[in-house]
Amino acid sequence: MTRQSPLERILRGIALTLVVAFFMFPILWIFLMSFQTNETILRMPPSLDFAPTLSNYKALITGKLVSNAGTLDIAFMGNLGNSVLLSVFSVAVALLLGVPAAYAFARHKFKGSEDIAFTLLSFKFAPPLLVLLPLTLYFQKIGLANTYVGLIWVYQLICLPLILWIVRGYFEDISPDIEYAHRIAGNSWWSTFRKIAIPLARPGIAAAALLAFIFAWNNFVFALVLASADKQPVTVGALAFVTASGIQYGQIAAAIMLSIAPTLALALFAQRYLVEGLSLGAVKG
Amino acid sequence: MAESLPGRAATAVVARRKRPLSQRLLPYLLSMPALLVCIGILVPFGTAIFYSLQRFRLSQPWARKMNWGENYLNFLTDPSFWNTLKVSLVYAGTTVVLELLLGLGIALLLQRRTRLNNLISIMLLMPLMTAPALAALMWKLMTNVNFGVLSWLASLVGLEEFQWASAPSSALFTVVLVDIWVYTPFIMILLLAGLRSLPRQPFEAAELDGVPRWFVFRRITLPMLTPYIITAALFRLLDSIQQFDIIYAMTQGGPGDTLTVFQVEAYLDFFQSTNVGRSAALLMILWAITYVLSSLFIKHWLKLRERAAGGIA
Amino acid sequence: MRNREKDLVRDFLAGKMSRRTLLKGLGALGVGSAASGSLMGMLSTEALAQDFDWMKHKGTGIKLLLNKHPYTDAMIANLDSFKEMTGMEVTYDVFPEDVYFDKVTAALSSGSSEYDAFMTGAYMTWTYGPAGWITDLNEWINDPAKTAPNYNFEDMLPGLRASTAWDGVPGSELGGEGAKQWCIPWGFEANNLAYNRNMFEQIGAKPPTNMDELIEVAARCTNEIDGVYGIGVRGSRSWATIHPGFLSAYANFGEKDLNSDGGAMSAAMNTDGSKAFHQQWVQMIQDSGPRDWSSYTWYQVGTDIGAGTSAMIYDADILGYFFNGGDNKEAGNLGFAPFAANPAATAPTPNIWIWSLAMANASEKKDAAWYFMQWASGVEHAMFGAREMDFVNPVRQSVWDDEMFKDRIAQSYPGYIEQFTASAPGSRIYFTPQPLFFDLTTEWAASLQKMVAKEVPVDEGLDQLAESIDRQLKEAGLG
Repeated sequence: MTRQSPLERILRGIALTLVVAFFMFPILWIFLMSFQTNETILRMPPSLDFAPTLSNYKALITGKLVSNAGTLDIAFMGNLGNSVLLSVFSVAVALLLGVPAAYAFARHKFKGSEDIAFTLLSFKFAPPLLVLLPLTLYFQKIGLANTYVGLIWVYQLICLPLILWIVRGYFEDISPDIEYAHRIAGNSWWSTFRKIAIPLARPGIAAAALLAFIFAWNNFVFALVLASADKQPVTVGALAFVTASGIQYGQIAAAIMLSIAPTLALALFAQRYLVEGLSLGAVKG
Repeated sequence: MAESLPGRAATAVVARRKRPLSQRLLPYLLSMPALLVCIGILVPFGTAIFYSLQRFRLSQPWARKMNWGENYLNFLTDPSFWNTLKVSLVYAGTTVVLELLLGLGIALLLQRRTRLNNLISIMLLMPLMTAPALAALMWKLMTNVNFGVLSWLASLVGLEEFQWASAPSSALFTVVLVDIWVYTPFIMILLLAGLRSLPRQPFEAAELDGVPRWFVFRRITLPMLTPYIITAALFRLLDSIQQFDIIYAMTQGGPGDTLTVFQVEAYLDFFQSTNVGRSAALLMILWAITYVLSSLFIKHWLKLRERAAGGIA
Repeated sequence: MRNREKDLVRDFLAGKMSRRTLLKGLGALGVGSAASGSLMGMLSTEALAQDFDWMKHKGTGIKLLLNKHPYTDAMIANLDSFKEMTGMEVTYDVFPEDVYFDKVTAALSSGSSEYDAFMTGAYMTWTYGPAGWITDLNEWINDPAKTAPNYNFEDMLPGLRASTAWDGVPGSELGGEGAKQWCIPWGFEANNLAYNRNMFEQIGAKPPTNMDELIEVAARCTNEIDGVYGIGVRGSRSWATIHPGFLSAYANFGEKDLNSDGGAMSAAMNTDGSKAFHQQWVQMIQDSGPRDWSSYTWYQVGTDIGAGTSAMIYDADILGYFFNGGDNKEAGNLGFAPFAANPAATAPTPNIWIWSLAMANASEKKDAAWYFMQWASGVEHAMFGAREMDFVNPVRQSVWDDEMFKDRIAQSYPGYIEQFTASAPGSRIYFTPQPLFFDLTTEWAASLQKMVAKEVPVDEGLDQLAESIDRQLKEAGLG
């Protein structure tokens, strides 16, 4: 792994450049598009020669969109707020439920642990649409329809299995000696858990939380079916730019940029832990 | 390898000693909340099973009755069902395999812990952060025949009339491309984490012995990486066979019947045809498929873990 | 205020004279323009409030489910005057059109009483009605205690009123005996031609008057003008591909979607006439249609004519209307023409889309909801929308007769009024009402896609389609 011939370095460089180009190009293109108006976007051949404008972002942030048919109200910032709220709380709840459970699975090989773990993962198998529609009926009956609480509960289906498996893997990777020593010294399991296990598992928890956040953020159908307009996240809200009087491509582009921003910020913040935290404890050594 | 034994042995020792009830109950207490929160899903799940055994159209409520397994039996002779099955499996298989290969390749490229590599690995997460529904919209725009930049680039290399998602021959290619763009970073980051957490001794030993790199990769890296590969493949497979957002946003299942995968077909069955019975039955079959596949994967994964814990290099 | 001025204004509000005449008359009586304005505002509310207790449901709150659409925006802009007049509270949820109907289905099927009234299309009521999710509005329209005397339901175009009424029996005629009024027409779209006047001038072409001419002119545009294709029509895998130009032309040839034989229905699109028509339509798309036609929805068709990428569209008239304005490249260059596809036909038979207002059956405030619905579909709001905002097409004859409205349209949209007048008598829904509407039309669209992609020859494709549809009808107990 240490020696690399010059040819190899060049090949690696080219390969990496191609990869980065493939994944980054659309993002870059959309970024540029967010500073254009429909007129320049709909030109062929596409060119980089245009006068940038902030009108798209302005429309999104102030909430007013001027189009062919007059001025439309955009609730995008509200959608952004909803996405943040739903994702943050869903991940928080999933962490609260999942980390202790992961710890239990990792440390205590109790009867039925693999089965319960598999059951929890199996909730991810249920195709969302299968349960969504009966769920609207039941939520109506128990009064959870169109509530943030109801949505956060449903979002656990997305977040919990992910957090469980990743954090469990990380816990298994940590040698239990330190905890054992802490216990022997007379401390309760709770303080061991809190003071030793969790800090040690921080990378795993951070990585799991970030991935869970991303998947919660990107969800589309849950809020659409179960909530009314004021609780819709950005995934649904971005479609509002597809109007009968024309698709506002510039605004869609700006909306996409704004919707990536929070998750990107989070990733940059947690980047230290990300790669480290995803070791799944499969290999000892 | 040696350090793990005392830990595991210690736990085993602790287990063998008679522990107080609270101690034995502890793991259950810890995992119960998670289980309880998720158990609620069984109620709508049960309702869905019930629906799948009925002839139930929302627009014909008077005709609603139990027809037991008839919905399922009808699938056997329904060409559109077999089409759905075929397309879903092809889509899931293609995306998972391609994303694994690509993700592994990129992870290998970024293996070294350099600042540049770390930066690139975070940057490459951006497609994953784009909601698939929005990503599909972006790609639809870029592949628009009239003003899309990708169409323009394609015309530069001689593919003048390439229709991307509008032609049956290239529709699958286009949505797979979008899927790869969105989800490969997920596999990449998992495998990268795996690569970086591998123990150094086997590699250092191999290098000292002058073992060729390809051999090292095949005989040392890959086997140790397998649990990660399996986890990544599992999560992706589950998502891919249930894919809805990308395909629905791009073509609503078209052109023709080329992309009517399970969830898209079930969605159309419910929302357009209001055929609740068929929709539920279709999704039950999807659930069964994912259940079987995941069980296989997990059994394999558990076996690997056992083997690793047993201390085989 | 003296009576003569009030009489003048009342006559104007009743649509009996033009604004110019009014202002001249008021001027002659010594009333300045500012005073005229406030006089009009006062009297129009007064006119509305006459003989009817608008404040009956004061304090009640209702919630609406609305599609993101210019009609919604026009309504919201005027909503305060409703709230003032009735003392009611109105809240609303707006969803993007792409997901709107799914949201309606999800909300209604759960039995929720959250929404009292909502926007819908007539086709949807063929599902919602039998499912028991919406209320028959005849009860309210015909009740003088619940409906204001100047509501004038008959003012709405007869084709529209009929197309939104159905007795619930699959296969029976729309608007026939015993038909239930499932929804109130709010705004509608007829399907005709919109074309780029400059391009036509460039190649010396005139708007085509039948299918053969359409194919010819479209081909000429494609071949003679650089970077342009001749005819824009929808092609996505959806009912919305069959509904606009396609069905309008199809019906003009006298073809039907389904045969109804005493309650038993069967597919009717495999007749020889239908096959011939499909052959023409498919050929037209292959030769002069958009390259990625099978992904074309309302938006793509509109964007292309607005950007000058297509020479004509055969789609909703208001689609051309919207893309003739705003910041589109071809804004102001579009012309409108009625279109009767059949050379032997005397008049166009446009299929129509009617955005309507429906009342949720689970609502607990039906009377209050009706107050809103009659105001929104009433003369006053329709005039406001047509004159001040882009509320086209209005459903009321009185609005079409209004001088202000007509002047405004004639100025920027040449041929629009004419295409309406020529098409109005034949404008209605030509589909057969039945609960499997969406299944059938979606499959029809998928079939069209296969034909255009040359995956199956037209005749065979139609036979297969008919077979499949017959099977589904039987299974559903309709065949």
